[in-house]
Amino acid sequence: MMIYFLKFYALVFCVILFNGIISNIFSQLKVETQIEVINISDLEKIINQNEDRALLINVWATWCLPCREEFPDLVKLAKVYDKNIRVVGISVDDYDDLESKGIPFLKQQNAEFENYLLKVVDPEDFINLLNKDWGGAIPATFIYDKNRKQKEILIGKQSYELFEKAIKKVID
Amino acid sequence: MILRKFLSPTALVAVYFMSIAASANYSSPSKIEDFTLTDYNGNNHSLSDYKDLKAIVVIFIATECPISNDYNSRMEKIFKEYSQKEIAFLGINSNKAESVERIKEHAKENGLTFTILKDEKNIIADKFEASFTPEVYILNSDFNILYHGRIDNARKVSEVVTKDLENALDEILAGKEVTKKENKAFGCTIKRI
Repeated sequence: MMIYFLKFYALVFCVILFNGIISNIFSQLKVETQIEVINISDLEKIINQNEDRALLINVWATWCLPCREEFPDLVKLAKVYDKNIRVVGISVDDYDDLESKGIPFLKQQNAEFENYLLKVVDPEDFINLLNKDWGGAIPATFIYDKNRKQKEILIGKQSYELFEKAIKKVID
Repeated sequence: MILRKFLSPTALVAVYFMSIAASANYSSPSKIEDFTLTDYNGNNHSLSDYKDLKAIVVIFIATECPISNDYNSRMEKIFKEYSQKEIAFLGINSNKAESVERIKEHAKENGLTFTILKDEKNIIADKFEASFTPEVYILNSDFNILYHGRIDNARKVSEVVTKDLENALDEILAGKEVTKKENKAFGCTIKRI
């Protein structure tokens, strides 16, 4: 009888331990797919941050079909060219949609590159910061060289080949 | 590299800036030529049909763009208010995948009673250099563009701070020059052919 209880408690212990490990793994996954909320000055800091890599900023939203369609190519690009270019996603989704749409989308895409959610009162300041010739149509991608000079603007849905062609101009 | 041999540094700088401008150029022509498009009921509409009114509002809209759809009730409200003040209101759908039947159905579903024209092959969108939905232009009777940009600053009605389209129309109706002639907002890219 005693052995039976010991076995039972050992089993309960194992279940609790396993559950803890699984929860920890999932919580770590959740951390990886969190989106930090930023404002315009935060974005300026990202653009002006000194580093030995080029920078690609992609503006997207879950409500934007072409943004969702090109996203897997960005995920792949960020992995392949990680040493050469910093890929940053800026979501312009509503803050209220972050938990229900933004994070699930990034999880589904296995997006490991940085992603932020932009919170601004007036989008015009953000649009002009990235480029005054940009009207606000998304998806939009802005590519900077190591000296943070903007070299390429890609408006609308791109293919992996077009992204690659554009970044090769700044990393080669 | 071959190109560098034939171009001076100054020319290279010029080519660089031209390439940037060509890929993203938020501008509009100063004037639009008269055009004719057909609405979802098969009736033709020309800009010149409205030249005796005080201004013509042209809005590029879409049936499937969530941003454009968030503005449906606001567009209808502005149309109802300003059509009584002799302002014409024309919606234009230039998206290649959105059929006349779908536009008609969408207008009915969303209570849009203003004229909506189908711009097959996005010819008129190209003339306006329109790039996203909803994108607004206000024209005078000579079809000069008095205002280009957004309806207001926020997708959510509760976050609206500046009613840019209405402000521009109020200035026009008061006989004043439009203070802010151009501004921007996020929108869906017009799907061209």
